[in-house]
Amino acid sequence: MHRLTPFAMPVVLPWTILGLYLAVAILAPYIAPADPLAATGAPLSPLFGSSGILGTDGFGRDVASRLIWGLRPMLAVSFGAVFLATLAGGAYGLVAGGIGGRTDWLMMSVVDVMMSIPLILAAILVMAALGGSVINLIISVGISQIPVFARLARALASVEARKEYVLAARAVGLSRFHVLVREILPNIVRPLLVQAGSVVATAGLTAAALSYLGLGVRPPAPDIGYMVKEGQELIFIAPGQTLLPGLVLGVFALTAALCGETIGQERRR
Amino acid sequence: MTSGLLRRVATLPFMLLAVASLIFAIMHALPGSMIESLSAQFVSDAQRVRLMAGLGLDQPLWRQYLVYLNSLAHFDFGISAQTGKSVATMIGETLPVTMEMAGASFVVMTVCGLGAALIAVHAADGPADVAIRLLSIILSTLPWFWLGLVLIMIFSLWLGWLPSFGRLPPSIDYRPVTNFVMIDAVILGRPDLIGPWISHLVLPSLTVGLTSSGVVMRLVRSEILATMKKEFVLTARMKGIGANRIFLRHILRNAAVGIMTVLGAQFGAMLGGSVVAEVVFGYPGIGRMLVRAIESRDYLTVQGAGIAIAALYILVNFMTDLACLYANPRLRDGVWS
Repeated sequence: MHRLTPFAMPVVLPWTILGLYLAVAILAPYIAPADPLAATGAPLSPLFGSSGILGTDGFGRDVASRLIWGLRPMLAVSFGAVFLATLAGGAYGLVAGGIGGRTDWLMMSVVDVMMSIPLILAAILVMAALGGSVINLIISVGISQIPVFARLARALASVEARKEYVLAARAVGLSRFHVLVREILPNIVRPLLVQAGSVVATAGLTAAALSYLGLGVRPPAPDIGYMVKEGQELIFIAPGQTLLPGLVLGVFALTAALCGETIGQERRR
Repeated sequence: MTSGLLRRVATLPFMLLAVASLIFAIMHALPGSMIESLSAQFVSDAQRVRLMAGLGLDQPLWRQYLVYLNSLAHFDFGISAQTGKSVATMIGETLPVTMEMAGASFVVMTVCGLGAALIAVHAADGPADVAIRLLSIILSTLPWFWLGLVLIMIFSLWLGWLPSFGRLPPSIDYRPVTNFVMIDAVILGRPDLIGPWISHLVLPSLTVGLTSSGVVMRLVRSEILATMKKEFVLTARMKGIGANRIFLRHILRNAAVGIMTVLGAQFGAMLGGSVVAEVVFGYPGIGRMLVRAIESRDYLTVQGAGIAIAALYILVNFMTDLACLYANPRLRDGVWS
């Protein structure tokens, strides 16, 4: 493992920030000062003005409320995609590594092919085929991360499969399914979780990039990545429209990466 | 007597075939595929049937697949519905642009990544090392398309030093020959192209290069530190070899393969990043072409651009492997015997 943070960082700090993000996203209907879809003031009202503390966007919608509601798709896709990739990639790699032989070779060749497309290109193409929505974002970002988990799970499972306890389990006549799920799986689950923790940030950034390209959440629904795109059109007159959503996204990615790092540290102890 | 190098070369066509098939599968098999959304725009059934027949979509899938592979083998990607030009021509115009940008980003990434890693190694666990490790995690979690916009704000809007959009100013009369500006400037004898070209290239390549350099800093740093702990370094020191010589000839040389692998792997991530960066900076590369084609449901162009980007990525990976073979004689032993 490569340590991300150079010093013994208080573990509490990133987890608290992440918790805040989650709490704000879940409580969005109660916290958001205004309807994120309705025009509540004059377009591009200034910060700390009469219409909302963060002002309004080009359509006169409350920026603070759009940011708060925009956390929902961001967090849903980040965690949903990683959950999907861990589950699907983990299962795939477990079967390949646990069975071994030709099945293993064939299954991993498929993964090699998937790995030979840049991650974001795969996500873009899948998104183009499926169309924009939160669920489709989870699927496309998740699919693009599956090969990484499949490789990791396969490497771990094929090591475990050669150990004596697996041999013993097979010798007493336990089914292949039982050996894979009850014997091998518990021994490879932790490294997979560490890996999952380390890619949440990547998933969030990829999803935001897709939304920025106009392939993600459909406007006018609030979304952080799409807000950056909308802000770009106003970059000459209202730079805050770009800066704010980017900061919200960047802090989330940094926090998620630091939290992922603490999962890894716990494992080493 | 199997040669690793030859085997690696032999996998190349299979890899290209497999990736072409994967892209075909994404384009055709997924629910709500491009073709369905494409035909949804057409109201009358007659129009729809004509369109499907024109694209060969009324044929059975296996037949479409064979036709598709056959035309790929002839570098025929079809005609773009959006521009009316052949997709192959469009790729020929845009792929060099992307390669220029990816190349420039690679330089930024390598210089920043290796430079910072070397500083960190020399000041191991000192304040500079701590600062660089912190910088590396911030860079690698920075939303890169957003960083591009921040750079535009600083260097184009406030300071007015650099252009924010496009590849060359429209005032310049540039009739491309190879589409690589550098080469064309030499062929056409046009040194006036180079200055504006570089000034347009700075911000996009900084955006992509800096954000990719975070990972490079971290991995190269730990690669060099790990090599330093090897026993041959101790031996060299016992033999009385100077510290600089040990670092350059023994440590760096041995860490080189690891470093090149990291750089090669990051190049792929960078290529993906530049697809988005091209949209940010209005840079007329293949990424922007892909996104525009998706917007206008120009599905042959989407397919062609996807294949071209993936092929470039595969070639870069291949070249990385060759470079590693060249740098590490130990890998070569198994190859030639």
